[in-house]
Amino acid sequence: MKFAIPALLVVLPLAAQDVKMPANLDRLEAKASEVVNVQLDGALIQLASRFLSDKDPDEANVKRLVGGLKGIYVKSFEFEEKGQYSPSDVEELRAQLRSPAWARIVGASSKKKGENSEIYLKTEGGQITGLAIIVTDPKELTIINIVGSIRPEDIRDLGGHMGIPKIDIGNGKPDNKDKKDKEDDK
Amino acid sequence: MMDDFEKQLQGAFQRKEPSPFFEARVLGAVKRQARERRASVRMRWATAVAAVLIAVVGSAWQHQRSERAREDSAGKEAKARLELALRITSVKLQKISQKVEGI
Repeated sequence: MKFAIPALLVVLPLAAQDVKMPANLDRLEAKASEVVNVQLDGALIQLASRFLSDKDPDEANVKRLVGGLKGIYVKSFEFEEKGQYSPSDVEELRAQLRSPAWARIVGASSKKKGENSEIYLKTEGGQITGLAIIVTDPKELTIINIVGSIRPEDIRDLGGHMGIPKIDIGNGKPDNKDKKDKEDDK
Repeated sequence: MMDDFEKQLQGAFQRKEPSPFFEARVLGAVKRQARERRASVRMRWATAVAAVLIAVVGSAWQHQRSERAREDSAGKEAKARLELALRITSVKLQKISQKVEGI
């Protein structure tokens, strides 16, 4: 019983996490020159959003967007030299994203530069319930998992707020509304 | 000589009727003393209760204040982490967007 509560506290955030971060990523921390590890579960997101101002338009927008999120998990490693991690380090993660709930909506790779970028969306009952991003290059590895109701429009709307760029990652074909919005933005 | 002394003694031992309001004054004095004693006890109780109340309210206020400070600190930390996560996500999405647009 003494160990049950600490164990539960460790397991609960993992339960909320859509994608389980591979354990072998932890050993990369020793090799990396810079490590960013952000783990925000639903409760922490709600706590953080209470400190986002309603008066500041940017913060109010972010507050609205994160309102439907249950978790944000970011792991990013930067290495001084190439070859500090192997593709197999992220293979376990990709295997999880091959499940039927997930769909890879963007995949961009450059053999010349050794870069690879992927965006996955998770859908349940026609609703998008998760987003995963894997970015690898010879000296960098970044994995992002956002859990919760996050539509491509939400991501697009983050653009221009708090340093977040404008992007369209819907079904790859911007609809008329997107075009109109773009024209309106000009 | 002896008669004078006896007369004086008789006079001294002669029963005298108290003044008309003597009883009322005595009873009034007794009631006033009792009232003052009760007021003094009430005052002491009120002081003690006030001291306890001040201690309890003060302690609760201090506890609430430190809780709020702790929550404030945790909230600001969570907000900073949220902003960091969104910034990293944004940079990565921008890079991917640029790559996709470049294809």
